Amino acid sequence: MKKAKFPAFLVTCLICFVFWLLITGEISGLFDGIDSGDIEILVAGAAVSILAALFSARFFIHEKAFYLLNPRRFFCLLLYCLIIFPWELIKANVDMACRAFAPKKNLKPGIVKIPSALTSEYGLSMLANSITLTPGTITMDIVEENGKNWYYIHWINAAEQDAEKAGAAIKGTMEKWIRRIWE
Amino acid sequence: MMIAIYILIGISLLFAFAGVVGMLRMPDSYSRMQSSTNIATLGVLGVIIGGILYSACILKDANMAIKLGVMGVFYIVTAPISGHAIAKAAYAHGIKPCENTVCDQLKEDLEDEA
Repeated sequence: MKKAKFPAFLVTCLICFVFWLLITGEISGLFDGIDSGDIEILVAGAAVSILAALFSARFFIHEKAFYLLNPRRFFCLLLYCLIIFPWELIKANVDMACRAFAPKKNLKPGIVKIPSALTSEYGLSMLANSITLTPGTITMDIVEENGKNWYYIHWINAAEQDAEKAGAAIKGTMEKWIRRIWE
Repeated sequence: MMIAIYILIGISLLFAFAGVVGMLRMPDSYSRMQSSTNIATLGVLGVIIGGILYSACILKDANMAIKLGVMGVFYIVTAPISGHAIAKAAYAHGIKPCENTVCDQLKEDLEDEA
């Protein structure tokens, strides 16, 4: 197990603290002025986040810690989470709902193997999670062969069995955006 | 505003209903999981976004809206991980895909290795 570096620890600690602020509702308390009760909550939050970061920083951050602070990448992440991915989600949801209600079952399920051009760990897992969240496709496994990463996908409508074409149909625009974020 | 909230929650109920119908009608467990993703995505997100709008615009409670947002984020981050684990475990346990499955490249590759 590799040891966590200090930047990774710092970033994990900050993220924990921000979530503490959000969940305790302290973030609006900060705007009305701080009293002694607020200070207690803030100190407790800081202590807990330091403790949590000590244990979990080495699992949470493997690559460069301040990677997402680049404004272009952060903007791409926001755009992906707020527009690109919800649009894919809605399209797939409508398609899946139509399949559920269709009087005749027009299902062609299949498990296909598709390649991925991504190399970073975060990018790979983000694409796998995006594919699983889209109704109609579930990532079953990720393997690495000859330096390239492959996904095994259970696809409800396996129209294509060729790896490249099936990959283009399943990943859609998502892979392009994830590559902009993480590479 | 109330109408927008009703519409959002209505849409999410519609998708949750579609997910349940799909779960009852699909032929094998993998296809059923596909259908249940309907409930897990738009079915939940619609209710959460409706709840955020309700607590922000009607109740004027910023803390509740923020908490709902955090819930939505955690839900979206963690839901696919369990789906992935269940599908993989079902496959490893030997549950067969249904007969009209077009292709099973995972099985072919596992046989090549063995």
